[in-house]
Amino acid sequence: MSCEIKAKERAGIINPMYTCQPAGAQYASIGVEDCTAIVHGGQGCVMFVRLLFSQHLNENFDIASSSLHEDAAVLGAVHRIEGAVDVLLMRYPHVKVIPIITTCSTEIIGDDVEGVIRKLNKGLLKEKYADREVHLIPVHTPSFKGSQVTGYDVAVKAFLQHFAEKTEPNGKINLITGWVNPGDVTELKHLLRMMDVDATVLFEIENFDSPLMPDGSAVSHGSTTIEDMKGTANAIGTIALNKYEGGKAAEYLKEKFQVPAIIGPTPIGVRNTDTFLKNVSKMTGKPIPEALVRERGKAIDALQDLTHMFFADKRVAIFGHPDLVIGLAEFCLDLEMKPVLLLLGDDNPTYVKDPRLLAIQEHAEFDMEVITNADIFELEDRIKNKGLELDLILGHSKGRWVSIDNDIPMLRVGFPVFDRAGYYRHPTVGYNGAIWLAEEMANVIFNDMEKKKDREWLLAMW
Amino acid sequence: MSRKIAFYGKGGIGKSTTQQNTAAAMAHFYGKKVFIHGCDPKADSTRLILGGMPQDTLMDLLRDIGEDKITVDNVVRGGYKDIRCVESGGPEPGVGCAGRGVITAIDLMEELGAYTEDLDFVYFDVLGDVVCGGFAMPIRDGKAEEVYIVCSGEMMAIYAANNIAKGLLKYAEQSGVRLGGIICNSRKVDGELELMKEFTEALGTQMIHFVPRDNMVQKAEFNKKSVVEFDPECNQAKEYAALAKKIIENEMFVIPTPLAMSELEHMVAKYGLMD
Repeated sequence: MSCEIKAKERAGIINPMYTCQPAGAQYASIGVEDCTAIVHGGQGCVMFVRLLFSQHLNENFDIASSSLHEDAAVLGAVHRIEGAVDVLLMRYPHVKVIPIITTCSTEIIGDDVEGVIRKLNKGLLKEKYADREVHLIPVHTPSFKGSQVTGYDVAVKAFLQHFAEKTEPNGKINLITGWVNPGDVTELKHLLRMMDVDATVLFEIENFDSPLMPDGSAVSHGSTTIEDMKGTANAIGTIALNKYEGGKAAEYLKEKFQVPAIIGPTPIGVRNTDTFLKNVSKMTGKPIPEALVRERGKAIDALQDLTHMFFADKRVAIFGHPDLVIGLAEFCLDLEMKPVLLLLGDDNPTYVKDPRLLAIQEHAEFDMEVITNADIFELEDRIKNKGLELDLILGHSKGRWVSIDNDIPMLRVGFPVFDRAGYYRHPTVGYNGAIWLAEEMANVIFNDMEKKKDREWLLAMW
Repeated sequence: MSRKIAFYGKGGIGKSTTQQNTAAAMAHFYGKKVFIHGCDPKADSTRLILGGMPQDTLMDLLRDIGEDKITVDNVVRGGYKDIRCVESGGPEPGVGCAGRGVITAIDLMEELGAYTEDLDFVYFDVLGDVVCGGFAMPIRDGKAEEVYIVCSGEMMAIYAANNIAKGLLKYAEQSGVRLGGIICNSRKVDGELELMKEFTEALGTQMIHFVPRDNMVQKAEFNKKSVVEFDPECNQAKEYAALAKKIIENEMFVIPTPLAMSELEHMVAKYGLMD
């Protein structure tokens, strides 16, 4: 019984799991109020990313591009930033926060983003927009380094580096959610409200589950404000739920402003939600209320209905963002399932030392593999050519053909999910997330039993 | 508070030699703590300080052991008079992107906190012209605040110096970088001193020192040493001491006023055709 953690051996990537750093920075930026990012690069660096976001969230929102062309790549392109900032401010009177997100091309040519920001602050903003509050924030996300996961991490830190400002203690905690869905934010806010804890949620994308109003307005905006970000330096502490998506910012607040930090665990499943609530309680001194004990009880009740009868020994492959994959694997183990294959999609060398993975490795009671720098073909190849037998796949919509072609049921979870309706609305975190995940896993397994006439009669009897 | 300075100049002008001798002179004669960051893919900016010891460059280590294993200890070497040295390194000729190498290396050193507070001077030794964004990295935001251009009385050296001044002008407003002066590394060409004086005046700067040509420099180089280490009593060592002192005491930092090509040609012709 072993669990191997290793990098993909094959060269090249087939059906990538993540896109590149600027996408992560853009996902963070849509959570900020009065914020429109400028992506400093070719148009595709925005267009395809926005397309993914829109497919996933089914909402409309704005991200700008400095739109580089051949001449700018050769002659330098900072003037495109100057133009973009001016146009953005002219057209959108509400915009206050403009992260300038770099890409592969503008990092390679070495455009001096800090320099042009200083120039704009001294020049254009003073001369033309003197009556407006405008923040230009450099976010360095060369696409050839890391992935969308590190891009998110880098951007959260860049925002806080710009805004965080020590004044008076504000009695709040900072909750850095990581790359999550609107439904997750709703659930996290619910847990904090039940705990009677005042928190700054970074980044607040709950409103991306947005209404279509009688006046026709339909553009979604993030809700994390400038004041929220300024206040992060004055908090009781920071809880970053996802180590790889916000951990850096938590460390920064700790080092720079001595704000205590707890990084992880991603509150997926009952065990991790328990730890999260204990952490919140420890940090704030507030007790965990009876009402949450009841919620936990409901979750356990829902899980025990399903676990032994349907989940036990089911072989699962999980791919997606590292914190999500690890959280789901831990949850599966608690449900008596066998997460035999975990795929992480970038070459972060610290994954092999992640204590959560090492704990899984230490307690492995069956053969499992953790592959870093993996693609989705790594999954397909094992199923088609290497005899991997699976009962369930957990992953995002880019894996849909692996599921369809090989007739293996798959629960859509992670980013992006574009081939199921409304999934962004549901949480994967907290006790409600545990219920949703378990019941949805059960339902896709039930569908599969019916489709394959595999003990489908059981479903009429339990 | 350490002063961060960058040396620029045309390829082959004696930039690295001058830079290392100045560093050695600062350390030897004035007890200054100096850190040299070589920003040339050829990685030859620290050879005289390290006694010819080949040094693993930052980019070598990045490729061989990976970013997460790079530490100040495995990339920074101590040399003559404890001068600390690091080489960015970069691609072999004809491939890759050397400019990106400079950006990556400087970012990494800052992240690792290699430029410590106790240093009196951090030197950036940068290749040739400011050919692209990467080679301007040392004069960007919060990095080198003052620049010295190594030059001689030859047309192309002056042309390159003028071009570098254009680069500085571009960044002066954004990053606050200033020109500290032109170091004339003499080639013993006709009217060199006069030409240099007129050229530096036109740029709005000073000729901070005229380093005479002396075979001692070559002799020390063959011995893989700076002149200062090889023979601190010799005349040339005293010249470098003088240059080091002038830099230490320098208070003239300007935004240069580069010349148009026609002005430049006219000036060079005036002195070059004197006889």
